[in-house]
Amino acid sequence: MLLTMKVAFRNILRQKKRSFLLAGAIAFGMLVITLMNALTGGVVGNIRENFSHALGGHIFIMGREWTDAGQMIMKIRPDERLEQLLEEHGAQIEGFTRRSQAMPTMIFGSRQTMQMLYGVDFAEETKLLESLIVTEGSFSEIGTEEASIILPQPVGERLGVQVGETMIIRLETLTGQQNVGEVKVVAFIKDQEELGLSAAYTSRSYLNTLLGMDPHEYQLLNMFLTDLDMVDEFARVFREGLRAEDEEEEVVEAEPAVSVTVAGMPMDPMTEREELTPWEGTRYQIMHINQIMEAVELVVGVLNRVGQVIFLILLVVTMVGITNTFRMIMIERTKEIGTMRAFGMHQKQVKNIFLWEAVFLGLLGCIAGLFLALVISFIVGGIELNTDPSMQFFLDNGKITFIFSLTKVVFNTAIVVFISLLAAYWPARAAAKMSPIKALSSHT
Amino acid sequence: MNKMRFLSAALVLCFLAAGFVVPAKAQDFSHIEAILERLDRQSRFENTDFSSVLTMVVEDQEKGIEKMVVRQFRRDDGERFLLLIQEPITEKGQGYLLEGDNLWFYDPSSRQFAHTSLKETFQGSDARNADFGSNSYSSSYEVEGYLEGTLGNFEVYIIDLKAVDDTVPFPFVKLWVTKDSDLVLKTEEYSLTYRLMRTGLYPKYTKVGNVVIPVQMIFVDELVEGNKTQISVSEISVNDIPDHVFTKAYIERVNR
Repeated sequence: MLLTMKVAFRNILRQKKRSFLLAGAIAFGMLVITLMNALTGGVVGNIRENFSHALGGHIFIMGREWTDAGQMIMKIRPDERLEQLLEEHGAQIEGFTRRSQAMPTMIFGSRQTMQMLYGVDFAEETKLLESLIVTEGSFSEIGTEEASIILPQPVGERLGVQVGETMIIRLETLTGQQNVGEVKVVAFIKDQEELGLSAAYTSRSYLNTLLGMDPHEYQLLNMFLTDLDMVDEFARVFREGLRAEDEEEEVVEAEPAVSVTVAGMPMDPMTEREELTPWEGTRYQIMHINQIMEAVELVVGVLNRVGQVIFLILLVVTMVGITNTFRMIMIERTKEIGTMRAFGMHQKQVKNIFLWEAVFLGLLGCIAGLFLALVISFIVGGIELNTDPSMQFFLDNGKITFIFSLTKVVFNTAIVVFISLLAAYWPARAAAKMSPIKALSSHT
Repeated sequence: MNKMRFLSAALVLCFLAAGFVVPAKAQDFSHIEAILERLDRQSRFENTDFSSVLTMVVEDQEKGIEKMVVRQFRRDDGERFLLLIQEPITEKGQGYLLEGDNLWFYDPSSRQFAHTSLKETFQGSDARNADFGSNSYSSSYEVEGYLEGTLGNFEVYIIDLKAVDDTVPFPFVKLWVTKDSDLVLKTEEYSLTYRLMRTGLYPKYTKVGNVVIPVQMIFVDELVEGNKTQISVSEISVNDIPDHVFTKAYIERVNR
């Protein structure tokens, strides 16, 4: 066995140019499929990460209830069931936020603009303040001045307002009544509009007052989990734990009221009015990041399949080349085969030499392809791209990310080796079956 | 004594300076409520349909001045109206259809109806969708207080109203209603935090049968400096409007 492997490896080195071209063809195929898999893997990871940040979590809980006037509003009241679930699963929750939100018109003088506004409990969300990059002003007044606001820098510039000045916010209460508040601008922050993260922040209790809610109420509970693999299970546990007794099981796919929002704007605008029968108390909607990622993963799956087909076509072409090459090798080595057979080498050993050559060629091609893929991904991944803001959602801080999957690499290598073996099988069998006498008397 | 006289004179002067406003008798709102009922009744076409053309001039400090022409069809019996935008050309064909409690907005570019609300602003102007129907002061608001005063040459009641529920966009409204003819000359609409948001002026009225409608309306945005909308009503008709006009199919058909 070791001998046949040694002979096979030596044979590859005997015809370096030919081996280089064959392995090069395999390497190219491996390079394409590896880069494609790594790129799609990276894109999925980046979209998931960017979505999580844009939406503020991996699991999103919203509460709905009916007013006495028959109007459905979105709010969450203090609820023992929810608190208990949070406590029970605290170990798996990296962090959670309870926020109110609105899309008010911000007015300063004759200028106005609409801007996503989050009502935040600043004492609870210390990580938020740490993550915001202040360009002007400071957060020192946040704790003392309830009617204060942190504005994205471009919004401040659009309005012409300065830090320390007071501006007006016009919004609707949960039931649709007009309301107006005055807020003091305490700081400008770096905008992350390209990631859908352009948001202003004020204290939750103040925003609640304007929205017509009690200070301890909120609209969204977003959770970051320690392990993303638990998202589906976690959502199921919360969905079941928060379901009212008379509430039917939520069919997630067919739920018309579920509307994912990025920066407060619905991604799937509801064109028809939803007809619902009013209920008592609060009913919860639980969404998770995987639901949002389903569409993305579908597209990525198609891309990966297209890549796999291209890879297989390349391999088939290479296989034809390998078969032809091995047929030529067989003819070139007819006398050599005859000599080996005359010295007592078995048919199987001759066949194995050819097959091992094919395996080594395939493996060398795969290693070269993987190495090239790593080099290219390292170079390309280091370049910071100033692309269209919408493209930033696919990138990690402006850079393309490549995520290599060991499973896919092993799978693709196995395919390459298998196809190389298949391509070399018939020439190898023909070589093994060759009569030693005929082979030695051959003129080739 | 002189001091007392001075104080009395100062008090009178204060009242005079406040627009000749004299406080009314305490807490007797029945005649004011009757006025509100009359205001609602006289704004409502009970037995006839109503159609007109609305010419709107929207002044926006950032966007400039824009003219809009809107065809209005109203059938108050059944709470229906249809507003079809005819100008500007970019918005031509867009329509608002009120069917009872449901207000639909139609966009011909997407050929879809979307649910909207009477509380929303009309096409980014200072008018609200609710401004194009009949009044409902007596059912939507309760009287908080009133004063007697003058507005220009007119003797008016200045009535403070508070919404009875959340169905109206403005929780607090102040009305200037003429004493002799029950015409609303001016409105001030306030937010939940009691901040003045919009002033409405109604300088011209016309009588159509038993109904009195303003033919000129000016809405001033009190939050954004310089923003206001003027609406002129013309081509008024009380002829019967076919039933099919108040349907979604009609809006779609006029856009073909």
